[in-house]
Amino acid sequence: MIVAIVAVITFVLIHLAPGDPFSAVLDNPNVSESVRATLRAQYGLDRPLPEQFLRYAGALARGELGWSFSYERPVREVMATALPNTLLLMGVALVGSFALGILVALIQVARRGSFTDHALSGISLFFFSMPDFWLAILTLLAFTYWLPIFPVGGAVDPVMHEYLSWAGRVADRLRHLALPALTLTILASATVARFQRAALLDVLPADYIRTARLKGLTERQILRRHALRNALLPIISLIGLSFPALLTGAFFIEKIFAWPGMGFAVVSAIGTRDYPLVVGGVIIGSIMVALGSLLADLLYAWADPRLRGH
Amino acid sequence: MAAVRYSGLLCAILALGCGSESSSSGNTGGTLVISVGGDPGVLIPALVQTVQTAEMVDMIYDRLADIGDGLNILNDKGFTPRLADRWTWSADSLSIAFHLNPKARWHDGVPVRSNDVRFTVSSTKDSTLGSPAASVIANIDSVSTPDSATAVFWFHARNPQQFFDATYQLPIVPEHIWKPIPPSAWRASEAGRHPIGSGPYRFVRWVPRAVVELAADTDNYRGRPKLNRVIWTISSDFQTAVTRFLSGEADFFEQLRPENLPEVAKHPTLATKPYHALTYSFAQFNLRDPVNHDRPHRLFGSRELRRALTMATDRATIVRSLYDTLALPALGPTLRVYPTTDPNLPQIPFDPVRARQILDSLGWRMGADSVRAKNGRPLRFTLSIPGTSDVRVRTAVLLQEQWRQVGVKVDIEKLEFPALAEKDRKRTFDMALGQWNTQPSPGAALGSWGIQASRASSGNNFGSYENPAFDANVDSALTSFNPAQRKAYFSKAYETIIQDAPAIWIAEPLAIAGYHSRLQLATLRPDSWWMHIPDWWIPADKRIARDNAPVAAPDSAASSTASTAQQAGQKSP
Repeated sequence: MIVAIVAVITFVLIHLAPGDPFSAVLDNPNVSESVRATLRAQYGLDRPLPEQFLRYAGALARGELGWSFSYERPVREVMATALPNTLLLMGVALVGSFALGILVALIQVARRGSFTDHALSGISLFFFSMPDFWLAILTLLAFTYWLPIFPVGGAVDPVMHEYLSWAGRVADRLRHLALPALTLTILASATVARFQRAALLDVLPADYIRTARLKGLTERQILRRHALRNALLPIISLIGLSFPALLTGAFFIEKIFAWPGMGFAVVSAIGTRDYPLVVGGVIIGSIMVALGSLLADLLYAWADPRLRGH
Repeated sequence: MAAVRYSGLLCAILALGCGSESSSSGNTGGTLVISVGGDPGVLIPALVQTVQTAEMVDMIYDRLADIGDGLNILNDKGFTPRLADRWTWSADSLSIAFHLNPKARWHDGVPVRSNDVRFTVSSTKDSTLGSPAASVIANIDSVSTPDSATAVFWFHARNPQQFFDATYQLPIVPEHIWKPIPPSAWRASEAGRHPIGSGPYRFVRWVPRAVVELAADTDNYRGRPKLNRVIWTISSDFQTAVTRFLSGEADFFEQLRPENLPEVAKHPTLATKPYHALTYSFAQFNLRDPVNHDRPHRLFGSRELRRALTMATDRATIVRSLYDTLALPALGPTLRVYPTTDPNLPQIPFDPVRARQILDSLGWRMGADSVRAKNGRPLRFTLSIPGTSDVRVRTAVLLQEQWRQVGVKVDIEKLEFPALAEKDRKRTFDMALGQWNTQPSPGAALGSWGIQASRASSGNNFGSYENPAFDANVDSALTSFNPAQRKAYFSKAYETIIQDAPAIWIAEPLAIAGYHSRLQLATLRPDSWWMHIPDWWIPADKRIARDNAPVAAPDSAASSTASTAQQAGQKSP
């Protein structure tokens, strides 16, 4: 139901935006209006909006996402190529950001009130507040131009990849993944660290922590064995909540690093008014977010025995 | 550092034992990587709409003859043979017989025949294809094929540009590939994704939004191109595209911005080469009311007001601020590179004192807030610009400041490009900054400033400027066979439009190409810098790892395109 509502809203909004896929072809004075009219008619854009919507909805009911004007391919095909790349980027960033965020929070809580705690809080806040596209551009310039140790963009080396061994291809792909994944990881880990620190501080005054201390456990053992597990519950909720933000972040980061995922396709499609690709991308994105929330609920139930059986 | 990176990859290749069997020797060999900011979309000559697509298409396909570096469009002077090794004019000049080079072959081995030429013309003119070239070859009536090696073009009327129309606008496509596919389905066809041409480079692969790779056609009838392969790496973001060049991942970037030049200068392996481009920019007045197009614009319907604003504009300062020495103030709707353009065309001078006098005389009196007003209405309007263009944003700010000094208030409206295009098309703007990338024919001015383009429901004359004297002089110029007379007619047309001031002609910028210094470039032609890529080369002792990579086999799908064409033709958007 949510996906259907999202599809309708996106369809209407993108069609209300000024311009159409063929009005942007204006840098050639020889492109006549009749050519644009022919193209609009070929793609059914000359029909009234309700009729366009009904046609689209009918196709959607048959499992078709439409035809991408800018790729000249079915949207399904474009998404089938792009989705694995986005999932790879998001998956690496999700695991990386939670690992890094939890680690930072543990360090902060272990040294709470110290300079390290304050410094890490400041750094977390800095990245938490930073626009993702800006950090992406900075990272791009820093590690591809000022200190050129990573490739600029794309998922693989366009020249050499085909000629590499299996291991070489994996290494090449990892090198291309590094910067976009690092950027997304840093941004998401700032949120995780702040939440995890707060959650750990919440459980530390609990009776069972005091008991553990009285038993003579070290602070590190208390944090790892007792505090962390109980403080993970809000973090599991955060997985569900962070999924939309991660997806949105991935969209902009993919665009800047030319990472050929869904975001790269959809953000470009907005600029070119490739309606079916935008709507298709948003539908798949909303399905991913819904699945992410479901996954978070399942993890929550697994981590908290009190919820099992409900 | 880039070399270190690539040497790592080279090691991987060597470790594999997949040593190159590249036919690299002497002046041949090497790889050219071009960084571009857009995907081709389609690789079909008749459907080319962007520069990036044209670059790729012109390497894959060939024309009957090439215009040559002089960009002469009168008769066939300066044109060089391509698919046609010679041509003969009929006595009445209403037909031209092109004799095809018998060695010419499509990349799948099929000979190029006159039927291919006839098919190219008829399909381009087919309205269901929606080709931008259809309107510019309107003077071609038909093509007959007396034999397989001769294609005769028949024209509706004798015209100085008829040879240009028959050759420049029409890269020839193979009939055996495209005939089974209805023109309305070409755009979506598999054949368009695995093109087969007769040009110097064969198609190898195309990963959408990522890469297009071509390999030298070593058996080409015109001889082997020097570089083994040409690769376009595609970014959708200008910054990413230019960083690819600056970091050494790409060898060539077609149009650097002035702010990129200091960075390029820091790299000993990078160099720049300015070249003329067929581009001029302008600030266009809307002469009709944005709401009710039947009425003149409340401000810009007045020729005197437009002239006053032109006089208040210090174009030389604007151009110097934006481009330093890499542009000249535009002369009008034309370019200095055209042989028909008089570089000394009289201009409306920069004269702010006179501008103030004219505004006073029109009743626009300076108010207490330093903004002129008339009948209680301020002299204020909106200047619409694409927010993504840094140059146009800066142009707008400079114009705003210069006009403020004569009591005119301007609100700058930044729009994303499709939104601005919509506003242009619907003519709902007051004033807009624009730029035309035009053609070797100066007649293209009619398409953007002529009466027909004004009156068509949404033609490209967005400001609705109409002056029959301008149209008549351009028409006379286009039909004149005498170069001096032709130039005189064009000069009259340009003087007319310059004095009418439907726009303020801002800049005629040079394009600045950035390239890796190991590349030995040939001339960068104003209309299409890439046309001489087959003559570019890399000295053997300067090659880097990617120059020695083995050349990939042409895309296997390409060889089976003919068999899949029929099937692809069934596919529809």
